[in-house]
Amino acid sequence: MNPLLEQFLSESRELLEGIGQKLMQLEDSPNDRRVIDDLFRSVHTLKGNSGLFTFPEMTRVLHAGEDLLGKVRNGEMIFSRELADRLLDAMDFVGLLSNEIESTGCIDASRAADSARLAESLRALIAEFSVSATSGPSRSIPVITKSPVARLSELPPLSEVPEALRIEAFRRCGDGENFHWIAYQPVPECFFQGDDPFHRARQTPGLLWGRVLLSEPLPPLVELDTYRCSLKFHLLTAAFHEELVEYFRYVPDQVEIAAVDPLWLAISECEPENRVGIENDLVSGSPVSEPERSPESIEEAAALTRILTAQQQILASDDQPAWLSGRLKAVAAVLKNLANSLGNAEAEGQIEASLAEAVASASGLPLLEWLNAHQSQFTSKLVPQSAANGSRANAEEETAATATTKPAADDGIKFGRRAEDNQTGPRSLKVDQAKIDRLMNLIGELVVEKNALPYLAQRAEAQYGVRELSREIKGQYSVINRIADEMQDAIMQVRMMAVSIVFQRFPRLVRDISHKLGKEVQLVLEGEQTEADKNIIEALADPLIHIVRNSLDHGLETPEVRQANGKAETGTLTIRAAQQADRVVIEIVDDGKGIDPAVIKRKAYEKGLIDEAALERMDDRSAVNLIFAAGLSTAAVVSDLSGRGVGMDVVRTAVEKLNGTVVVESQLGNGTSIRISLPLSMAVTQVMIIESDGQLFGVPMDHVIETVRVPRHSIHRIKQSMTAVLRGRVVPLKALNDLLGIPAQHTANADDELSVLLVQAGGGVLGLLVDGFRETLGVIQKPMAGLLSNLSIWSGSALMGDGSVLMILNIREIV
Amino acid sequence: MPIEFKRNRVVFRDVVRVEEAEALLEVLQKKPSTKVDLATCTHLHTANLQVLMVARPRIDSWPQDPELRTWLQAVLIPTS
Repeated sequence: MNPLLEQFLSESRELLEGIGQKLMQLEDSPNDRRVIDDLFRSVHTLKGNSGLFTFPEMTRVLHAGEDLLGKVRNGEMIFSRELADRLLDAMDFVGLLSNEIESTGCIDASRAADSARLAESLRALIAEFSVSATSGPSRSIPVITKSPVARLSELPPLSEVPEALRIEAFRRCGDGENFHWIAYQPVPECFFQGDDPFHRARQTPGLLWGRVLLSEPLPPLVELDTYRCSLKFHLLTAAFHEELVEYFRYVPDQVEIAAVDPLWLAISECEPENRVGIENDLVSGSPVSEPERSPESIEEAAALTRILTAQQQILASDDQPAWLSGRLKAVAAVLKNLANSLGNAEAEGQIEASLAEAVASASGLPLLEWLNAHQSQFTSKLVPQSAANGSRANAEEETAATATTKPAADDGIKFGRRAEDNQTGPRSLKVDQAKIDRLMNLIGELVVEKNALPYLAQRAEAQYGVRELSREIKGQYSVINRIADEMQDAIMQVRMMAVSIVFQRFPRLVRDISHKLGKEVQLVLEGEQTEADKNIIEALADPLIHIVRNSLDHGLETPEVRQANGKAETGTLTIRAAQQADRVVIEIVDDGKGIDPAVIKRKAYEKGLIDEAALERMDDRSAVNLIFAAGLSTAAVVSDLSGRGVGMDVVRTAVEKLNGTVVVESQLGNGTSIRISLPLSMAVTQVMIIESDGQLFGVPMDHVIETVRVPRHSIHRIKQSMTAVLRGRVVPLKALNDLLGIPAQHTANADDELSVLLVQAGGGVLGLLVDGFRETLGVIQKPMAGLLSNLSIWSGSALMGDGSVLMILNIREIV
Repeated sequence: MPIEFKRNRVVFRDVVRVEEAEALLEVLQKKPSTKVDLATCTHLHTANLQVLMVARPRIDSWPQDPELRTWLQAVLIPTS
């Protein structure tokens, strides 16, 4: 995949997320100008970007979406939930395409139909929801009702159509059919693009009549260039405008599609002058609407103005080079092409005349004069519906007047917007995660290596007896230590991400699910700025989705039930994140019906998850936490949302994998609160080092409650187990040596006290007998590899400063 | 072969593609008297159409496809 495409995909994803958010924002406040503008801009950017690649499927849908939003922006449509639904669907589709492009590099051919259907339905919405039916036609807007009358100046030469056909068409107009006139002028190089204009013309949907014309005089046979297309086509079709736009989507710049007024079919025999008269008589009073300007035409206008200005500058320069005539010819050629591309055939002769004059007088003035005189005519051409023609002067003047003022105003807006776009670019850098991971590993090694310096200092003093050196090493160590710590902190910061990354998908999720379930839910997000390590945040996404789904499906009630229970109709689901010391805590709180501990207990018993004794003994708090047990589902039926009994188990497993905990609290009738607590970062684990039988072990600080010394005589033996009363509480004691199978007794200190490490394990407190305590240390924990990974009593190993390996105990497993 | 060059006659068959235009032009340039048989032709590429429009050869038989026939007769039959 090339870098451009890669960037496009990553940008699209960002844009799509933003679009989704804004759509929902708009749903709450449909009149927020700023949001609408933002939204339109995002869709427009995305469409533009997709156009850089050959993904017509994507561009088509985005284009339709853009048109729709354009209407909303102009106040011609009212934003509604339905509209949001459809646009969200469309954006999902675009997201799907992006994913497909990412994985396979291209879009599956079968998507084309979906894309066309989506785009069509979006366009249908435009017609359906339009506030004012008087809006004029534009190239991209389908003409569904009777097309407004186009400008007289561009009446298609319907007299070309054989009378019989024309009469038939007129009759069909009476039956409610609409006709379109298409002037299709392929570019001369089109053969090289694998195009067959004749074929395209023949296959035009709803084709009634068509003919081939010469777009330029054909050279004599001997000079004919086979590969230059000199033909153009005039077509009359009964197809809908949108159908035609779709059909000519690859050559939109080469076709002009105009709705045919039935009147024209009837009166096309007349001379143009008379025609105007008759038509005025016939349609007087009918509004001639200002055609809508599509963004393209504004862009074209800007480009055209630039070209014209450049030509003026060239002509105005008063040096007299030897190649003056060549220069004049070049300018004339540019102008001619311009005139041709705008469909102004008469200009060509005028330009030729001016050119001849200019060459004769060896000065650019005649051409310049012509250009100045006709410049407005060029600009006016860009109003799509007004192909002004010199002979129809009265119609033209009117158009020219409106057109010359309009582009200027529009240009200003357009370019202002562009400039602003650039400024608001995020000041962030995209870095491949692998690079950060590498940095992380390196700093880890540095931290470990740095810890070797104190040992070195010790040796310098003890072994070689150089105190001075020892002190200097210690001094250096403290400096390196500080820098390394800061560096580690900085790298951790890089890896930190706000939980909003995960949270931002919830508005959509909650919206969709609650609509589906017919529930009214208000989602409240708090503490979105809370940060945690990227891995943690990412691993959090799935469990959170499970929980939210569960809350929506089982927790919150339907509006009727809520009302009956005296609650507000709209339920509230709060997702709250906060940092507490070195942990991030996420709470998902709903004010739904809560969990009935009795039901849970019974279910758990039925499934054999707890025995009868436990059933009797268990308190409500522990009972609700049974929802995390595998295989338990309270839902009577399995829905596509939940009820398979895996959801909450998955949550627990995922959270525990991250060294986190999850607890549920519930009040029957008042709601449920699920609390997930996770470490901020997985990279560095704080461990307390303990000693036993001369060996060192690490215990994660998360589990350590306190360290105490207990006199040997206050330890009581009850059968095989030891206990002691600590702070008025009976605490079971276990000897670490026994647990690890070390054949040695724990040693006591001079006062005959034993060292006890109080740890939190399996929901209770336990005292571990050890020989002694050492310092606590931040270590980079490496998981056990190979065969050793089966030894679950170790959670991993870490390198110590002196190069020795520290084994870290998995407290949960050993007790 | 969608296009066949006989002694004094060019036969178009089925769909005549853009690649044939060059050869067609050459034949018609060399022998303007060549006649054209379009009877079984269903479509011809724009480039070929263009050559026919310039060369104006005698059309021996028009396409059986009525639609194509209408298109071609409109441009290939001299109006005056």
